[in-house]
Amino acid sequence: MSKNLLKVVGLTVSLALVISLMSLPAGAAKTGIRVLVFAQGFAWPELFGSTGVDETERLKQFEEKEGVDVRIEWGDETAIRQKVAADFAARTGRYDLVLVGTDGGVQTYGYGGFLEPLDKYLELYPGEYFDPQDVYPQFLDANQVEGVLYALPYYSFGAGIMYRKDIFDKYGLTSPKTTDELYQVLEALKSGLRGEGITDVYPVTMRGAPGEEPTLDVAGFVYAWAGYPAWFEGGAMTPDQIKEKKAMPIFTGDFAPGFGAFVEICQKYGPPGISTHTWVDMMNIYAMGKAAILMPSAINAYAALGVTEDEQVKKYTRFAKSPTGSGGKQIQSFWTFSLGINKDSRHKKEAWKVLTFLMGKESMQAFAERTQWPNVTMKSVLYSDVLIKRYGLEEIKLNEESILEAEPFYFPYIPELNEYMDRVGTATSEAIAKTKPVEAVLSGLQTWALETMLRAGYYQK
Amino acid sequence: MYGQKYSNLKKLVLYAIVFTYLVFVLFPLIWLVQSSFKSMYQALKIPPALIWRPTFEAYQKALGGGMLRAFLNSAIVSLSNVVLVLVLGVSAGYALANLKTKASQNIGFWILTVRMAPAFGIIVPLYIILRSFRLVDTIFAVMVAHLTINLPLAIWLLKSYFEEIPSELAEAAIVDGATRTQILLYVLVPVAAPMIVAVSALIFLLSWNEFLFAFVLTSEAARTVPVLVASLAGTMRFDWPLMCALSTLALIPAFVLVVYLQRYIVRGLTFGAVK
Amino acid sequence: MGVRVYWPPEENKLSWQYKFLLPALLVLLSIVAFPTFFLFYVSFHEWVLFKRGMPFIGFENFSRVLTSSEFLQSLKVSVMYTFSTTTLTFILGLGLALILNEQLKGRGIMRTLIALPLVIPPVVAGFAWKFALNREVGVIGAFILPAMGFMKSLLADPSLALSSIILADIWSKTSLMFLILLAGLQAVSPDLYEAARIDGASSWQLFSHITFPSIKPAIIIALIIRFIDAFNVFDAIFVMTSGGPGTATQTFPLLGWKIGFLYFNLGEAATLAIIMLIMTIGVSIFLIRRIT
Repeated sequence: MSKNLLKVVGLTVSLALVISLMSLPAGAAKTGIRVLVFAQGFAWPELFGSTGVDETERLKQFEEKEGVDVRIEWGDETAIRQKVAADFAARTGRYDLVLVGTDGGVQTYGYGGFLEPLDKYLELYPGEYFDPQDVYPQFLDANQVEGVLYALPYYSFGAGIMYRKDIFDKYGLTSPKTTDELYQVLEALKSGLRGEGITDVYPVTMRGAPGEEPTLDVAGFVYAWAGYPAWFEGGAMTPDQIKEKKAMPIFTGDFAPGFGAFVEICQKYGPPGISTHTWVDMMNIYAMGKAAILMPSAINAYAALGVTEDEQVKKYTRFAKSPTGSGGKQIQSFWTFSLGINKDSRHKKEAWKVLTFLMGKESMQAFAERTQWPNVTMKSVLYSDVLIKRYGLEEIKLNEESILEAEPFYFPYIPELNEYMDRVGTATSEAIAKTKPVEAVLSGLQTWALETMLRAGYYQK
Repeated sequence: MYGQKYSNLKKLVLYAIVFTYLVFVLFPLIWLVQSSFKSMYQALKIPPALIWRPTFEAYQKALGGGMLRAFLNSAIVSLSNVVLVLVLGVSAGYALANLKTKASQNIGFWILTVRMAPAFGIIVPLYIILRSFRLVDTIFAVMVAHLTINLPLAIWLLKSYFEEIPSELAEAAIVDGATRTQILLYVLVPVAAPMIVAVSALIFLLSWNEFLFAFVLTSEAARTVPVLVASLAGTMRFDWPLMCALSTLALIPAFVLVVYLQRYIVRGLTFGAVK
Repeated sequence: MGVRVYWPPEENKLSWQYKFLLPALLVLLSIVAFPTFFLFYVSFHEWVLFKRGMPFIGFENFSRVLTSSEFLQSLKVSVMYTFSTTTLTFILGLGLALILNEQLKGRGIMRTLIALPLVIPPVVAGFAWKFALNREVGVIGAFILPAMGFMKSLLADPSLALSSIILADIWSKTSLMFLILLAGLQAVSPDLYEAARIDGASSWQLFSHITFPSIKPAIIIALIIRFIDAFNVFDAIFVMTSGGPGTATQTFPLLGWKIGFLYFNLGEAATLAIIMLIMTIGVSIFLIRRIT
C-alpha cells in the first residue's frame, strides 16, 4: 500500500514545487524596490500604464539609469493597511516605500519609528527629480512630525467648495464666504429645489461613512467654528504639548459646535444615504448631477468632472474658497497622498531615488495632464498650460490661494491619531444616522479619549 | 416528492419557487455583465438605459497587460488546491469514516476547528512564518493557506459519504486479497465519484474566490483574480465597469466548469447500480 | 474447502486508519501550530505597534475587550447577522435542494444557475450590492424601490442596514448550502423511498424518517461551515457599509480588523480572535450534539 500512496503523494508534492518555482519572480540584477500603494491605474499611469501593471518605456529608462527594479504592488486601502501592519509587526522590511496619508499614517507610523526621516536625504542626495522649493510648503509641512519630514507628497488637496453655477444662478445665489452665508445658501437651495418638486437633487453632498472617512472634514469644521484645533485644551497639538500642559480632551467642549454643525448640515441638506457616504459616493453623486454643492474636499468634484457625461455639470462647475466659520478660520480639508521609506528597508538610498522620481515634477506634470485635476503639489505644475486652459487663470489662482491659506495642522499630530480619526468618524456617522443624539456621541468620545490618554501616561507627574 | 409523479399544479408551484429565486440570483449578475459594457457614468445613470451604445473600454483594460496573469495564477492555485485536497482529504475522510472510536470524533472535530480562527487573527503570524521561509508572493504560499480553509470541509464531506457506503463493498474486496490502498483507490473512489467530483468543484470555486489570504500573501507575481479586482477599488477612484468586466471574464471558465460538473453529479452512480 | 479469511498483512488493529490520516493531519498541524501559539502568546501581552516593548499583562486584554462597549455592540450585531443568514441560507438551500433533487425538466440548467453566485468573489458581490442598493445612484435603491414608494435608504438607515448586508450574504452563500445539501440528498438511495411509499408513508413521513436522518451529516457540515463563514465575514460587509451607519453593522471581524490594523493594537486583536474562536467552537459542539 505504502508504495502507491507514496508515489501519488510524491507526484503531487513535486508538481506543487514545480508550479511554485515557476511562479518565483526572475532574479533581478538590479536592486529591487518594492512600493506598496493604492489607486491602481490612477497613480503614475505614465509609468505603470492605465492598468497599473505595465512597464512603460519611461519606467524602463529610469530603471536602467538608476539601476533599480521598481516593483509596485497595488491594493485597496483596507488591504494595504493589513500588509503594512503585517510588515511592520514582523519588521521584515519587505516594502521599501509605503503609502502614508497625512490623516494618521504619517503620525502613527512616524511616531512608531517605522519611517525613515527624510531630511538628511534631501540634503545629501537631492537628485534631479524632486525640487522641494517648487512644492507648496503646506504640503511638505503636513508630512512632518515635530519638524521631521517622513514622507513626500504626490497629489494633494486643500479645502474648497465646488458648486453648480447654473443652479446657483437659478435661485439667485452666490458662493458663501462665511458659514452663516453657507446656511442661508443651503436653505435657499433646499426650498428652491423642493419647491419645484425636484427630489433627487440635494443641496450638498458630504461624506459621513463610519471610520476615518469623514474625519478630515469634520476636523475642518471643528477648526472653523472653534478657531483652533479644539481637540485638547488650549489646542495642544503634539504629545509634548499635551503632557506639558496636561491638556485634557475637549470633545464636549469647543469641539462640539463644529461637530454639531457638520452633523446638522448632513442631516438637513444632504442625501438620505449620507451616513454611509465615502469619497467615492460624493464623487458619484456630484457626477450624476445630484448635488448643487460639494464640500469641503473640492478634489472629489474635480474627480467627478472626469467621470461625468452630464453637460450641465461639466459646464457650470465652479470653485470657491472655503467659507470662514465663527471662530474666524476657514473650514479645512487637507490631505496628501504620500510615500515614506520603511525604516527596515535594506535599500534606503535606492528607495530614496525611486521616491524622488515618483514624487518629482515629471510625475506631477503627467498627473495633471492625465487627470486634469488641479490638486498638484507644485506651483509650476499648477500653472502649467494644461490646467490653465482647462479652468482658466482665475480658478487656478483661487486654488492656489486656498492652498496658501490652508492650515495643515488643524488636528493634533499624535501617535494615537489613527484611532482618533476612526472613532471621531464613526461617532459622526452615528450622530448623522441618529442612532444616538449628538451629545451622547460626544460624551462617549470624551470618555474614551480621557481613558486612553490616561492609560497612555500623558497626565502622569 | 422523492421520485413520485407530481400533479401539474404541484409542478407549477415548484417551478415558480425556483424561478423567483433565480430572478433574485440572476438580477445582480445580469446587471454586472451589463455594466461591463458601459462607461462609469452610464453605469450609474438612473433609470438605467436598457439600450445604450456599448463600449469595450473596460474589456480593453481588462485584457491588456498583466491582468491575464492573475487568471493564470488563480487557475493554478485552484487546480493544485483541488489535487492536494483530494489526495490528502480522500484518504483522511476514508480513515475517519472507519474509525469508530472516541478518538476519531475528536480528531474530526479538531480538523474542523482549523477553519474556525478568524482571518484578522491569523494574517500576521502566517505572514511572519511565510516570510521567514521566503515564501511570500509564491503560489505555494497561497495554496498552503487555502489548504486550511478547504481541507477540513473536504474531509468532512468525504467522511460522511464514505460512512454511507455499505461495508460489504470493502469487505468483499478484502476477501479477494486487496490492500487498504487498493480498496480505496479501485473500489471506493469510483463509488464515491459523484461526491468527489462535487467536492472538487466546490474546492475549486472556494479557492478561486478566496481573497484575504491571497492578498496578504502575494505581491504581483502570484496575484489572483479577486485580489486584482479588489485592488481596483481605490478610495479615490472606482472603476466599476472594469471590475464588472473582470468579474464577467472570471465568470466564464467557472460557468463552464459548473455546467460540466453538474451534469456529472446528476448522472452519478447510485447504490442500486453498485449492488 | 473452507473459506480462509485473508487479512492484508499490515492490518493491525486500527493502524491503517492513522496512516491514512497522517498526511492531512501533519499538513494542517504544521500550518496552524505557529499561529495558534502566536495568538495565545500575544493576547497575554500588551502589543501596540507604535509603542515600545511588549509587556506581559495577564488577562488585562481580555477584561478590557470584554467590557468595552464596542464589544457588546459587535456581539449584538454578529449574533443577529450570523444567526439570520445561517438559518435563512439553510432554509432556502434545503428547499431548493429538495425541489431540484426531483425529476423536474430543466433542473440541470436551474442547478447551474443557482450555483453561479459561487463564482463571484464576495468582494465583488459586496460592491455590486452596495451600488445597487445605493439610495442616490443605485439601480434598486434609487430607481426600483422609490418607484414602489419605498423612500428609505437601505444602507444608511440603521434599522435596515443589517438586513441589507444579510441579503447580500444570502445571495452569495445560498449556493454553497444548496450544493452541499444536494450532494447529500443525491446519496440517498431511491429504493428506500420506494419501499416506504409502498408501505403507505406520507410525504412528511418520508422526509422526517428517511431524508432527514440520511442527510444529517450533510446538514451538520453545511450548518457549521456556514456558521463559521458567516461569523467571519469581513470583505463584503466592509465594502458595503464599513460597519455603518455608525456601528450598526460592525461585526466582530470588522471590529477585530480595526483594532489590529487601524489602532495597531495587536494584543487586543489577538484577544478578540481567541474569544471568537471559543464562541465558534462552543456553537459547533452544540450544533453537532443537537443534530446527531
